Amino acid sequence: MSEGVLVAADSTSDTRPGEPHSVVWVDEVDPARAVAAAGSKMGRLTELHRAGVEVPQGFAVTVDAYRRHCTESGLDARIEEVISWLGTEPSDASVEDASARIRALFESIPMSDDLAAEITEAYEELCLRCVDVNVPTAVRSSATGEDAADASFAGIFDTYLGVSGPQRVIDAVRACWGSLFTGRALAYRLRKGISHHAMPIAVGVIELIHARASGVAFSVHPVTGKPDRIVIETSWGWGEAIVQGLVNPDHVEVGKADGRLLKYDVAHKTVVSAFDFADGRVTEIDMPAKLADRRVLDDEQIAAVAAAVTSIEEHYGYPVDVEWVISRHRRAGDPVCIVQSRPVTVTAEVPVAATYDPVALAQKYVFSGKPVPGR
Amino acid sequence: MANVVPVEPYTGEWYPGFKPEFLAAPYIIDGTGPFTKEDEDKFWFLDFHWSRGLTPLAAFAWGQDGYCWGTQHAAEALPLPPGRGITSRFAGTHLYGSALPEPDPRQVGARAQRLGTNLPRFLATYRQTWEAGRDELEATWDHFHGLDLTAVPTGDLPVLLTQARRYHQRSMEIHFGVMYPLLVNFLGFYGACAEMGIDTADIGKFLQGEDTKIMETDRGLAALASAAKRAGLRQVFEDNSGNDIRTALSAHGGSASQWLTDFDDFLQVYGHRQEATCDVGVPSWIEDNTIPLDMIKSFVLQEEDHDFAAAVRNALAERDDAIDTARSGLTKEEQAVFDAGLSSNQEANFPWWQDDHNYYIDLKVMIPLRRVAQELASRVGADGRDDMLYLFWPEVQAVAAGSPYQGELKSLVKDRRQYFDHWGALRGSMPKVLGTVPDTVEDPVLIEIFGLNPASIRAVQNPNAAEETVLNGVAAAKGVATGTARVLQSSDDMHRLEPGSILVCESTSPSWTAAFGKIAGAACDGGGMLSHAAIVGREYGVPTVTAIGIATLAIKDGDEVEVDGTNGRVTILKRAADLAGTEQ
Repeated sequence: MSEGVLVAADSTSDTRPGEPHSVVWVDEVDPARAVAAAGSKMGRLTELHRAGVEVPQGFAVTVDAYRRHCTESGLDARIEEVISWLGTEPSDASVEDASARIRALFESIPMSDDLAAEITEAYEELCLRCVDVNVPTAVRSSATGEDAADASFAGIFDTYLGVSGPQRVIDAVRACWGSLFTGRALAYRLRKGISHHAMPIAVGVIELIHARASGVAFSVHPVTGKPDRIVIETSWGWGEAIVQGLVNPDHVEVGKADGRLLKYDVAHKTVVSAFDFADGRVTEIDMPAKLADRRVLDDEQIAAVAAAVTSIEEHYGYPVDVEWVISRHRRAGDPVCIVQSRPVTVTAEVPVAATYDPVALAQKYVFSGKPVPGR
Repeated sequence: MANVVPVEPYTGEWYPGFKPEFLAAPYIIDGTGPFTKEDEDKFWFLDFHWSRGLTPLAAFAWGQDGYCWGTQHAAEALPLPPGRGITSRFAGTHLYGSALPEPDPRQVGARAQRLGTNLPRFLATYRQTWEAGRDELEATWDHFHGLDLTAVPTGDLPVLLTQARRYHQRSMEIHFGVMYPLLVNFLGFYGACAEMGIDTADIGKFLQGEDTKIMETDRGLAALASAAKRAGLRQVFEDNSGNDIRTALSAHGGSASQWLTDFDDFLQVYGHRQEATCDVGVPSWIEDNTIPLDMIKSFVLQEEDHDFAAAVRNALAERDDAIDTARSGLTKEEQAVFDAGLSSNQEANFPWWQDDHNYYIDLKVMIPLRRVAQELASRVGADGRDDMLYLFWPEVQAVAAGSPYQGELKSLVKDRRQYFDHWGALRGSMPKVLGTVPDTVEDPVLIEIFGLNPASIRAVQNPNAAEETVLNGVAAAKGVATGTARVLQSSDDMHRLEPGSILVCESTSPSWTAAFGKIAGAACDGGGMLSHAAIVGREYGVPTVTAIGIATLAIKDGDEVEVDGTNGRVTILKRAADLAGTEQ
């Protein structure tokens, strides 16, 4: 498979030999260089695909494509100019101002015809693969270093859900590029003295899975760090409302050793992320009353989510959190679709006591001078 | 910010004729005595077990041998790492307790090491340890019980007094020697359960439903009630109360004679029981039939017999449900810990022991000393059988050894009776806490048994306690009940309870168990999750809130109150005064 990488690039006639490719496919790029080419978010999808995990179809506009765009269009020089005005200790307002100006530059400066043609062709290939005309996609920033080494950046770059048609996809790609320069990202880099060149961005274009339900799943407890359980949070529709904290999701815990359902707390869910076909995007609407208090996942679906997160943790060898989607077309027994995975950031480590030790428990709960929990 | 409640009002002269040397007795860290100014640095809580107050002999025998020797001995033997037991002081006749901390961190560490060796050893041999202790006490009891005191030479009385006192003291070594490790194991299990996300209200249920001698006694009383009804004696019980029931039954003759024989047979087994905890001043059921007869009366007056078997079945079913529910929410790894902890606590069952041991210890061990003191009183021609209870230990010993009981000593007893009655009447207005009141205490006994949690410590310092109408405490037994409040100072007042009453008291001890058969709810000043009221409330399904701190201050006799034992709240719905007004 590794020699068959870069199908879309190969089919683009005017790519100069030896030049890094602008587009790589999730299921075709060499996993060894997937993160370097496609950023961590998209690179991990490739790793998961190779590990046998169900992931969406899609491609990434590479880090190199972004770099070339900035260099060849003259953006780099203009960005430098804006940033140099800021000095070393800029006010919040001036950082926001600089951010707005840089992002406007990304929106106004077109990408090269070559790159636009490459993205268009890849998008059309995605439509063919999905057997759809103008298939709706999720266009996601996939920064290098995002989610992994530097958790501070997790989730701050843009994602656009439901984008369809080549031109809108291209616009969304440029908007994602610009999100490398949000006020928060800019201020952080200034404070740490990191150049934006040190953390270039890729952009993923993946098929939008039509979600019946979605959510996040942790291979350890995200708060206590207990490694003996899987924790799932879920709601109806797409996962944006959960990830952004707009909805109080159902909370599910599953024993890792035996896959037994330990806990299912049904939440009162007031908001849902839904696909607006007229508008061509995923948007937040009021939860239909009949769904608000309904349990989202049945036991089979819980087992499928748990199986996916367990296999991903086994693959990487460290605790992970994932975003997953259950498609409208999924049937019992099918795997769930994983749209994102990253190392879990919880640091609290509660070693699970292997035995009942009355002396240790007495020291902890009776003689520690702290109240027994729950009293 | 610690608040200081001055001890100064209670540092004056103690019992008339008291001399400090009267309290000479072994203790390990700190012995009992009247309050002094130096005590103000410590935190003192009014101990609900002795709401009647204690006579000089009771104050000495219990305050010194039980409270100080017993707890401090056991706190060294286990040991408790940060605590060295408790000590006591008297404000008038009222006993206040205080925990004794170990201040040296190195010592605490060394003690923790010893606990690490001793606690597992105790748990491994718990059953034989407790049964050996219990059997030893029962053997001593049998010895005293077999003595015909009226026939012993007067010259033997000093030795008998000493032996009887030692029996009580030894019982307290056994009592706290078993109680501390059981409690520590239970609280460790409790903490582990809470940490694993188990509903803490369910933890007590895991260990419920085991039969106790106290419940066995209740069943015997209920059986006597059924027999009385079958024998057509219901009317006699309805028309009389207390000892008058006995008089009326004797006069009734016929079936009543047989019933009284059966009753006396019952008392020979279960009647060696005082309605008090280790109080030499209180008569046994055999000495005074009032309490057992009134308890039988309340069973007689119930339309339907209390179904003890069904209550046990329910308790066991509830236990099994609670265990299943708890286990189902645990991972496989957690289940292993839970199962081992549950098994350890089922074997060494603290809530069960907390009720059962009273039959062998708390309700009985002062009876020999009381009987010898009574015999001595009759030998020396005292005016009252209980005169000796108003003497301090060295004074009693002197009288037993032949020193004449007359003149000054006799008039001191009169004065001390007045002193006892005077302070008894003040019980309701005694401060619940004295000295330097902290925000929290750490001693598990104080928290779980006495209910001294931060909320109750705050509540008792509320200057407007008497006006409060919504009271919060520990949700000790679930359910909601509404009824008329009966505010009782001690179990002596239990006859004032009617079916459906809400019992309001400082706290309950096993002597109150019978009341839970007829009350609708209970609200207590003290008592934690593991207090007697909490345990019995759960066994009987009576909504119970403990550790309110100010229940007996805020609730007035006759108030209409709601006890919400699920949420730990008591609400005064209508004041007795207003209720009286609307009826006019």
